[in-house]
Amino acid sequence: MLRKSAFVLFCLSALIWALLLVPALSAQGGNVDVYGRELPADAASYDMQVWTQLCDSTRTETSFMSAVTVYQRICGDTHMFDKLGDSLVDLDENLDLIPGAAESWEPSEDGLSWTFHLRPGQVWTDGTPLTAADYVATFRYMADPDHAYDFVWMWQGIIKGWSEAVAGEITPEEIGMEAVDDLTLIIHTEGARPYLPGTVYFWPPLQAKALAEIGPNYVLDPATSVSSGPFVLKEFAAGDHLYLEANPAYAGYRKPFLRELRGIYGDQLNGSFLAFQNGDVDRVNYVHISPADFEVIAADEVLRSHYLPNFGDFRTDYLFFDTYTAPFDSLQVRQAFAKALDRESIVSNIIGEQFGIPAYSFLAPGFPASDTEGALRDIQAYDCPAAQALLAEAGYPNGEGFPAVELKLRGESDARANWFIASAASISECLGVEITVNNMQFSEFMEGILARPTTIQFGAVSYGMDYLDPSNMLGVWVSTGRHSWRNAEFDQLVTDAGVLVGDPEGRTQMYKDAERLLVEDVGGVFLVHRIQGDLFQPYIAGNCLRPDRQGVSALHWGNDWCWGSFYITNEVANFDTYRSR
Amino acid sequence: MTRYILGRTAALIFVMLAASAIVFVLMNNIPGGPFSLGERGYSPDALANLERKYGLDKPLLERYVNFVVGAVQFDFGYSTAVAGSPPVIDVILRTWPVTLQVGVYTIVLAFGLGLVMGTFAAYHRNSPLDNFITFTATLGIVLPNFIIATFLLFIFGFQNGWGEPNKIIIGPLTPGGMPVLGWDYFLPVITYALAPMALVARYTRAAVSEALGADYLRTARAKGLTDRTIMVRHVFRNAMIPLLTVLLPQIPNLLTGSLFIEVVYGIPGLGKFFVTSILNRDYPMTMALILLIAFFWGLTYLITDILYMVVDPRVRLTSSRAR
Repeated sequence: MLRKSAFVLFCLSALIWALLLVPALSAQGGNVDVYGRELPADAASYDMQVWTQLCDSTRTETSFMSAVTVYQRICGDTHMFDKLGDSLVDLDENLDLIPGAAESWEPSEDGLSWTFHLRPGQVWTDGTPLTAADYVATFRYMADPDHAYDFVWMWQGIIKGWSEAVAGEITPEEIGMEAVDDLTLIIHTEGARPYLPGTVYFWPPLQAKALAEIGPNYVLDPATSVSSGPFVLKEFAAGDHLYLEANPAYAGYRKPFLRELRGIYGDQLNGSFLAFQNGDVDRVNYVHISPADFEVIAADEVLRSHYLPNFGDFRTDYLFFDTYTAPFDSLQVRQAFAKALDRESIVSNIIGEQFGIPAYSFLAPGFPASDTEGALRDIQAYDCPAAQALLAEAGYPNGEGFPAVELKLRGESDARANWFIASAASISECLGVEITVNNMQFSEFMEGILARPTTIQFGAVSYGMDYLDPSNMLGVWVSTGRHSWRNAEFDQLVTDAGVLVGDPEGRTQMYKDAERLLVEDVGGVFLVHRIQGDLFQPYIAGNCLRPDRQGVSALHWGNDWCWGSFYITNEVANFDTYRSR
Repeated sequence: MTRYILGRTAALIFVMLAASAIVFVLMNNIPGGPFSLGERGYSPDALANLERKYGLDKPLLERYVNFVVGAVQFDFGYSTAVAGSPPVIDVILRTWPVTLQVGVYTIVLAFGLGLVMGTFAAYHRNSPLDNFITFTATLGIVLPNFIIATFLLFIFGFQNGWGEPNKIIIGPLTPGGMPVLGWDYFLPVITYALAPMALVARYTRAAVSEALGADYLRTARAKGLTDRTIMVRHVFRNAMIPLLTVLLPQIPNLLTGSLFIEVVYGIPGLGKFFVTSILNRDYPMTMALILLIAFFWGLTYLITDILYMVVDPRVRLTSSRAR
């Protein structure tokens, strides 16, 4: 009897101890992610590790994989796309290439191919290994004329056979992509292309098997979607919401602390800051913050300290001409317009010095081959008397006889349209010419600029990089590019520099010379190099926001490994956010 | 009556054909296109591939004939702007119920409250109550809904996560169906209902006021009819005719949604496609919506005419041939 009572007593005490100890133990080691890693010491609990952004209800959207579409990516401004796989390479905060799905890469001795070595052990969520064949299938799919990919220009003249495949002259299987074995991928190029690794940094793979069996839309349905990236599709309702959750099978280089990424559709342009203030979203990009919102940010110490400016995609806003017809076929007229633009005044009074720096050339400071010494500065610098003299030399003294011209804009926001209205006013006031401003619809503008002959006599637009090489930025100015401006010497320099191997300094100099020609021949009148930025909630942290070489702490363009670094700090408890409602 | 309805239905089909033909020609001749969205544009090869893929390489007439043949079978083609390029009919079937739901709640609120307000104002003409209702109605008309929406959002907080479980008041009637009512509906419905409610109130006040002053009411009172009978049989019935003319055409607008309301409140409905499909040059979607709206408006006017006859027996409907 005594033994039985002792046994019952023992069991009861064991139960009490278990009830007391289990929560204590689980609290001690419980803040772990799906990979079993302990979250950073200042991190909020794992169930709070959710990140939400606002997506645009009005955009054309067709897929969240760049290999399917670039211009129609789902939740395109939020970095929610391309999370279902890893690109071969990535960029760090200094825009240096770092290993992505490939742990190393090297060119062949003749420079005509690049070999990428994939990290072993990477798998898709259905258990299929990620192999070089997936990348080959993805690139073949992009080159397939039946796919009609919207970014085919990216590898024209770069990957061997690419242009011919796009034109339907050869099959996509014949392009220069080769899976030597499961972990070795070779990309054959048309000639030596030293910058090739930089061009493959934002194309995560589609799964070859799913692509063949279901087609590219397999990614859109959680029932068929597979991922080899840090996140996996949880829910997607077009125009309503997109939920991604951490992929437990992920074996790549950016395992996320965040449990879930959420995209909620709404009025992205006008509602983002309101949603941010209400604690409904965690990040707002600068393009969705109005001047009035920026005044609120500037006046609030907390908001101000969490608005992190960055160089973005080295975007430059500029004016351009149809130089094939009068009056802009005259170099003196173009020079007069360039020197009549008081860009310093516009930047300080209209744009704001925190959002841009006056541009005297196309390549923004810091971009390879850019004019960091200011050698091009005087060519287009504001000098109204000189501008007036140039216009008089062109046959239009005091603007007399100069036809009224229309400055066409590419569907700009009101705030940005003001930049160009001020530009038109500056030129008009100095030269006595009549300029009206027409903010066109985006697609109408693009069709006009690309038409030959162009239908845009005088326009304003911006451009930012797709990859970190001058061949990309200056490529838009070659005579086969998007502008009606031709300079044979410029074309030759850009073409020759594109294939130059073994002489990086000489190559850079060729691009510098080309840019000088662009500025002197006034292919464009350069207004501003944008300073971009993101507003983060105070409880967002991440090692990726560490200062770069210039000491700038920001979410840099192309810095996709950041998504393995972001987490929500326990400071979130001090805020009223969607997590606690 | 049957002949009249058949005649009007035939006319409606003609209107739909004419509207679709006009829009089709205009749409394909204005600058820009569904593939003019990129920074650099497409290479000629890529553009040719895209046009072939979406059948835009065929002559305009052939494309229109294909569209009409498809539309008869409810096949409007594939959207060029919605994720996964789904069939347009699928997008409409997925999004329209959401818009319809918001629209029905809006109609109930706008018409219900508007009729009551207008009737009270007419019954108490020139009283403080009438002045208050008239002032409120004027405010509802002059205040644009984007101002109202902004204020509502500032006061009640940003809305997102449409249909999230924690926001549902009355759940779906069928498994996997749409929730019947959620907190998400309140702000959009109030914003959307204010202008039509003001319109209904003002027109109701005018129509009821006019009916209240009519000679036949004196006769009705002399016959000893109760106030309620007089109101229902005489006042409302006579006030209905001008109300039907003005108010019924509001319904197609409300049931097809609004770009602004849907974008601001993040409603996954059909309304925004009436504008975005044109901006994004989603030709198949635009054409389907043109047919939808033409059908809806034609149907509304047909129903309005039939209701005239029900409300006022003096109205006789005849088709042009019968005349």
